[in-house]
Formats: sequence, C-alpha cells, structure tokens
Amino acid sequence: MKATNFITIENLLIQIFLASAAIVMLYPIFMMVLSGFKTTPEIFMSPFSMPKKFNIENFQVIWEKTNVPRYFLNSIIVTVSSIALLLITGTMAAYAISRYKFRGALMVSLFFLSGLMLPLRLAIIPLFIQLKYLGLIDSLLGLIFIYTAMSLPATVFILTGFLRSLPKELEDSARMDGASELRIMLDIMVPLVSPALVIAGIYSAVPIWNDFFFPLIFIQSPEWKTLAQGLTTFFGEYSINYGVLYAGLSLASLPMIFIFIVQSRRFIAGMTAGALK
Amino acid sequence: MDNSSYKRAKNFRKLKRQLWLSFLLLPPALILITFIFLPMASALLYSVYDWDGLIRGDFVGLENFKKVLLDPDRNWFFFNALKNNVLVFISLMVIQNGTALVIALFLAREPKGARFYQVVFFIPVILSTVIIGFQWKMFLNPVFGLINKILNAVGLNEWALPWLGLPETALPTMILVNAWAWVGFPAIVFLAAIHRIPQDLIEAARLDGGSEWQIAKDIIWPLMAPAVTIIVVLTFIGSFNWFELPYIMAGLEGSPAYSTDMLGLLFYRTAFGSISAGGTEFGIGSALAVIIFLVIFVFSIIATKILVAREVELN
Amino acid sequence: MAQINMLGVSKRFGDLEVISDTTLEIKDGEFTVFVGPSGCGKSTLLRLLAGLDELTSGEINLNNQRIDHLAPAKRGLAMVFQSYALYPHMTVYQNMSYALKVAKEQKTVIDEKVKKAAEILQLSEYLDRKPKELSGGQRQRVAIGRAIVREPKVFLFDEPLSNLDAKLRVQMRIELTKLHKKLKTTMIYVTHDQVEAMTMADKIVVINNGRVEQVGAPLELYRRPANQFVAGFIGSPAMNFFSGVIKDVTTTGVHFDINNSGTSIFVKCPSADVSIGEKIQFGVRPEHFIFTKKTDQIITGKVYAVERLGGETYIYMSSETEEDVIVHCNGDREVKIGEKIDVGFSIEDCHLFNSKGWAIR
Ligand SMILES: Nc1ncnc2c1ncn2[C@@H]1O[C@H](COP(=O)(O)OP(=O)(O)O)[C@@H](O)[C@H]1O
Ligand SMILES: [Mg+2]
Repeated sequence: MKATNFITIENLLIQIFLASAAIVMLYPIFMMVLSGFKTTPEIFMSPFSMPKKFNIENFQVIWEKTNVPRYFLNSIIVTVSSIALLLITGTMAAYAISRYKFRGALMVSLFFLSGLMLPLRLAIIPLFIQLKYLGLIDSLLGLIFIYTAMSLPATVFILTGFLRSLPKELEDSARMDGASELRIMLDIMVPLVSPALVIAGIYSAVPIWNDFFFPLIFIQSPEWKTLAQGLTTFFGEYSINYGVLYAGLSLASLPMIFIFIVQSRRFIAGMTAGALK
Repeated sequence: MDNSSYKRAKNFRKLKRQLWLSFLLLPPALILITFIFLPMASALLYSVYDWDGLIRGDFVGLENFKKVLLDPDRNWFFFNALKNNVLVFISLMVIQNGTALVIALFLAREPKGARFYQVVFFIPVILSTVIIGFQWKMFLNPVFGLINKILNAVGLNEWALPWLGLPETALPTMILVNAWAWVGFPAIVFLAAIHRIPQDLIEAARLDGGSEWQIAKDIIWPLMAPAVTIIVVLTFIGSFNWFELPYIMAGLEGSPAYSTDMLGLLFYRTAFGSISAGGTEFGIGSALAVIIFLVIFVFSIIATKILVAREVELN
Repeated sequence: MAQINMLGVSKRFGDLEVISDTTLEIKDGEFTVFVGPSGCGKSTLLRLLAGLDELTSGEINLNNQRIDHLAPAKRGLAMVFQSYALYPHMTVYQNMSYALKVAKEQKTVIDEKVKKAAEILQLSEYLDRKPKELSGGQRQRVAIGRAIVREPKVFLFDEPLSNLDAKLRVQMRIELTKLHKKLKTTMIYVTHDQVEAMTMADKIVVINNGRVEQVGAPLELYRRPANQFVAGFIGSPAMNFFSGVIKDVTTTGVHFDINNSGTSIFVKCPSADVSIGEKIQFGVRPEHFIFTKKTDQIITGKVYAVERLGGETYIYMSSETEEDVIVHCNGDREVKIGEKIDVGFSIEDCHLFNSKGWAIR
C-alpha cells in the first residue's frame, strides 16, 4: 500500500494522529525514568522539568537497602530455568508428534493441545495443596514447574508446526549416514528450527518474567520473591518516597525495554505467535 | 542367519523405537499431567466438597455452587464482579481494540516511521502489569500525581479528581490504563492481517475509484475477519482474567466500594481469605473457579462459532 | 562385491499395496535402472532396499546375507535423494563428512576421504560453502559426494537429475556413467524418464503399478518388449498401437485385420498362442515407418500436425481406421497439413500383443 510518499492532507493527519499516540505511549515511561533521578521534593515541586542534576541516590538506595536486586536474580533464575526446561520438553514432545507415525499419535497431540484451553489460575487451590504435598511451596522450583507446564501446550503447538514443515528426506538422509534418532534430532532437525525456538521462547518468557499471580500465592519468604511480586513489598516499604519508587520501577522495566528495542522484530513475532497462524 | 535371531533383531529395532518415543513423550506429558490436568480435575472435584481449611470434609453436591449464585448474603458479590468483568470486556473492545484498528489501518499505509511506531506502541505490552499498575497509580495520585498536575496546569482544575478514589471513575480509569498498556498487541495483529491481504485486491479497488474509507470497510475489514475473531476471544479471556491491574491499583477488595471488584479478585478472596470474605473457603472458591471457567469456555466456543461463521459468509 | 537378491518383496501402506511380490536379482557392479511412471512404486522399492521403509513381506539379501532387519546405516548402502537433502546448516565439508563423523572415524582419515571425493567431483573450491550458496549442479554433486565418502557397497539414486535443467541433466548423465565406470560399484538408479534409463543402464527394470513388467538390457527391451506396457513405455515417441482381429493362424505366423478394414496383414510368429477371431493389438514404432509403396503393409492417413525439430520431423496423422499415428522421418521431408500420405513398414519391425497385453511371438 505504498501510495503515500508525497505530502497530502490525509498523510499529514495520519502523521499527527500517530505522533500524538506515540507521545501518549512514550511520555509516561519517559516521566517514570526521569523522576527516578529526582529527589522526592523535587518531584512534587517541579514534576515536569528535567532533574536539576541526574543524581543516582535513589538507585543506590535500591541497590543497597532493598531486596530488589535479589528479586531480579530470582526472576532471572525462574525465567531462564523455565524456558530451558520448556524448550527441552516442548521440543521433545513436538518432535515425537511431528516426525513419527505411531498408534495414538492423534490422541497424543490432542492431549498436548487441550492444555491450551485450560486457565491454570482457576486451579490454584488444588495446585496449592499439591505443591504443599510435594514440598514445592515457597520454592523457585515450584514456580519453574508451573510455568513450564503452563507454557508447554503453546510451545508444542508452535514447534510442531515448524518441525512438520521440514522435509522427510533430510531425516532419511541422516539415517542413511548412520545417525541415531537422537543425533538426527539434535544435529539435523532442531538446529533447523532454531528461529522457531526463539519465537516460542519469547512467547513464553515475557509472561513468565512478568507474572505476579503465582508468586503471590506460592512464595512467602523475601529471599524467594520474584521481581513483579517483590515490587509490591518494595512499594509498601517506600510508600511515600516517590523518588525511590520511580527509580525502582525504572530499574524493573528498563532491562526489558532495552532487550525489546534491540530485538523488537523477534519480540513482536514471538509475542503475537499465538494469535497469528 | 536363522529365523529366530532374525526375528529377534527385528523386534529389538521395534522395541528401541518404542523406547525412544516414550523417552520423548513421557517427561513433557508428566509435567502437563502433574501441574495442569491433575489440578484442573481436582478443582472440579473440590467444588462438590465441604472444606475446613486445608482438610476435605463431606460431599455436599452442588451446595457450594448454590452459595455462590443463590445465597442472598453473598451472591451480590458474584454478580457485581461479573458485571464489572463484562463492562471491562465491552469497554476494551471499543476503546482498546477500536484504537488498535485505527492504528493498524494507518500503519498499513506505510507512513514514514511506521516501523518506529510499531515498536513504540508495543513497549508497554512487554512490561509487567505490576509495573504499569504502580506507575499509573503514582501518576493518578490526587495530590502528588502527574495527571492532576497536568490538569491543573492547563486550567482544568475541576477535572483534577481522585480518579481511583471515586466509585464512578475508578473502573473507567483502570480500563483506560489497560487500553494504554495493551493497544499495541491488537494493533500489530490487525496490521499483520492487513499485510496478508493480496495487494492487487486493494490496488484494484483503488483503480475502481473506491475511497479509502470504502476500501477499509468493504475489502480490508472483511478479509481480516480471522484476526478479529482471535482478538475478540483473547480480549474476552483477558478481561475475565483481570486480576493484577485492579489488585495493584485498587487492592484486593475492589475499592472503592467494590466498584472495581472482579471475578478474579473475588475468587482469590474466597479461596485464600481476606477482610471481607473471612478465612479460606476452598469449596466455595473451587465452585467459583468452575463457574468462571464455564463462562469463559462457553463464551469462547460461542464467539468462535459466530465469528467463524461470519468469516465464512464474508469470504 | 555387492550382489542383491529380493525375494517376494511386498509393501503395503494401510490397505494400499504399493509393491507386490517382487523378485529381483541385481548383479555385482551393474548399473541397474528402475523405470516406470510416476507413482508406480520405484521410490518405495528403493527405500525398502535402503531400510527407510519396512517390508510387509519377503526378504532382501546382500551377498547372500539377509539385511532387511538391519538399520539403514548397517546395510552399507548410500542414497542420493531427489531433493538432494543436503543439511542446510552445514558446509559442504560438514555435509560430506557427517557420516564419517557419526561413525567416529579419525579426523585425518575423514579429511583425506572428503578431499579425495571433492576432487573427483570438482568441489574442492566449495568445501566451505553452505548448500544455498551453490548452483543446482553443484548441490547435486555434493549429494553424490556425500555418498562416495562412505565407500558404500551399493549406491542408490532416487531421480537425482530431475531438479536440473535439460542441458545440465544430459551432462550429469554422462558424468554419472563415467563415475560408475571409475568406481565399478553396484548402482541402482530410479527414474521416470525412459531416456535416462536407455542411456545409462546396464540393466533396466520396468515397473508399473508396483509390479516388475520386464527386466533386461536397454536394447533388449526396445526390441523385444514382453508386453504392451513396456512396448509403449520404452522408446520415444511411444509406439503406435492399432487394434485388430486374428483372421488366420498358420504354422509360420498369423494373418490379422486392422479394425476390420479389410487390409489383412501377415506377421511371422511361429509360436503364437492365439485363435481365430481373437482381438489383438498391433504396434509399430514411429521410427520404423518408411515412405515407400514397395512393402505390402501400408497405412494411409491424413496429416493433422507436423513437428519439425530440424534434424528430424514428426508427422501426426489419423489413419483411415481412425487411429492416431505418429511417424518419424528426416528433417527435410515435405509434408503439408491435410495431405493424405501412405507409410509402409516391414513385418520384422512390428509387435503383436494379445488381449491381456502379452507379446505374441
Ligand atoms: N508413506 C506412505 N504412505 C502412504 N502411501 C505412500 C507412502 N509412500 C508412498 N505411498 C504411495 O505409494 C505409491 C508409490 O509411491 P512412490 O514409490 O513414491 O512412487 P514413485 O517413486 O514411483 O513415483 C504412491 O501411490 C504413493 O502415494
Ligand atoms: Mg519417486
């Protein structure tokens, strides 16, 4: 639809609309980061101006006096482990479903896909009792398993589609070359779907990183809290210290925003993977 | 080679293959069963039992469901929350997805900076709802918040309300925050759907002298029907799972005066206890969960049916 | 040494019998071509040999040792696929060395073998490239190279040239024949193209509908097709067929009548097992027609199309008995569309087939 390289009233209006929308999107984030560099009185007195000087005291407070770094670490541990476990088990299931004919194959794939429709949050009570029984309450391991399970159906769904599209002759060729089934999978087939692994990984990683609900219920000890959940504690502690609060929010969001901007194409493709066939 | 060792070799290959398939399928299946299917099935079971804290009591049939839906002391909470969830869904459909559609239609014309806009609109989508909730809660603070400072600065002093403190404005404000955070998602999905429409169809319509509005209405809109179906269903599921944003911005009790109460909050309060709901009530909580699940499930099926029928009709 | 025996081999996919009761011997060092129309089961037969599909019944022996229970790699065969099936993420070198790496060969040995194969195939300059940076012909050679480095007992080729353009195909055909002369290994080659079969094969196996129709040297099949299918499939353009009825049977041959037109033709076939009144098919190859009235056997037809290829010309005509006939002649022959012409043939060049399609001799 490249009808629009010259200036018309229409194009001008479109630009004005999009630019204002962009400002509405960016300004709050910009203000949040900016306020993190101000002292609390400064925020109240001159909320819109640039900070008098970019002082990093607020960030120092967070780094030295709060548990936020710990929360960060926990979130990284949980997200990385969940995604690793998820991609390994998801690839295994998707590989079996997409590359082999066996009796009950259809049932197996329906079994995995049916998980797509089950909102696990509503099963939080039995899950709670079950995790208590397994000794996984107040432990990152419990979260890792839950996130893996929750994301598994979508991962299997995405990966099955990609794995299915690989030609059978490739696999046969490796079989003739003497590769075992495991080696065929690891040497030949999986490397060829690495873009799909990235997409599936991002699709799950963002909600896992951002999740608040499951830690809220399963994690109590400060040392195991994740970032999203830990922020609520932090907000309780610094309820009127706006400078520190803004700095905390900035610290929590900037890494994600940074990674997103660098990898925006992949992120957008990944996060919309479930909605786009 | 004699026949029996030939058979053995053949069976061995078969066995090896079965072991390999089991090795691939069992670990993921086990995770799924333990952490999804078992709890989901248990939720169903728990809802027909009486519970004393963590201890399961007698079988009570549909008693728990009755309490949620019919008990005059408490069913107000359910219907109030349900009403709010429906309100959230409808508002988001109009405000969030409507804006998204406009953005997508504009971006599809590939204006200068289209790629930049896509990235910008998508930034809040990747942020945690907790961050967004806190950030806006701070902006909306009646005394210290930026919003009222801006309103005062431009002379709209009487508009400088305690937005989250009034029953009339609290929910609409949160809906706007949600729309701000999520508008990028449907916009990108719509945009991708528009990009998939064959260019020559649009070119042909343009050559036939159709206005941009007519092209959007008669060609682009019908052909992006599948994307619309998905967004409607996802918005519904999202609206009925609303929890984080009201929890962060208005607290567990849906304040003020339960005007921001949601099924998710009610469920949490019932299950894990709170000021208003008292101690934990696993039985009633489970019944509530089953009801919420049914509402989402039935809606999704019906909506998909209707919308897919529309897709067929249009194509 | 590699000699293959297939005994009563059959293969079913569900209810569909794709290969039925096939018995076949392939001698050491032979270049054998499986040829047949698309979908007839050639690839399946090759895949059964390779071990990529499992037999439904029967057995396969290599040098008198049963191999059909062995994993593909244990059979000592190498296969070149129609799509080449090169590993897209590996370089040419990695592609060619993969099998050896899996077999845990020493690095120096691998290097030597790969370099040698690359030299034979003129790939030495391309060893560091990925498949997508190569031309079609080069990819093809990598696929062959991957087979060569394994030093297999038998090479299996599944339509390896069908993705190449016409010119390259002719060139590769000759190169493959040269390669066979050089390596002297048993090769089995699958194609639907009878020209490839005729030009490359020591022995052709004609397959149709999952059955072997005839096995023999190229010229043997051309001269003495065992049935109407082989007669029609081998040779290009295809043999012309006319239906006829037996009028008389003598000790030396049969008299028959084309389409009851009254033109009685006599063909020598001393051991014919036919009776008077039986319906038969009678075939003459386009290149066996001659423009003379001196033979007894004349077919008259009206020309409806002429294809001039320069060196040769094909005349399409419909005979008086309303059968389409293709006639091959010199490039400079004068013919006009609509013209009526007579073509003759000698009875040595015709073929008779009974109502079941079997050759009458
Ligand atoms: N895996 C399979 N499952 C079911 N049918 C198959 C399979 N492979 C081949 N066939 C069928 O077997 C027949 C022969 O196939 P193939 O051997 O590939 O033919 P060719 O190579 O001669 O063209 C075809 O009808 C094909 O549809
Ligand atoms: Mg084939």
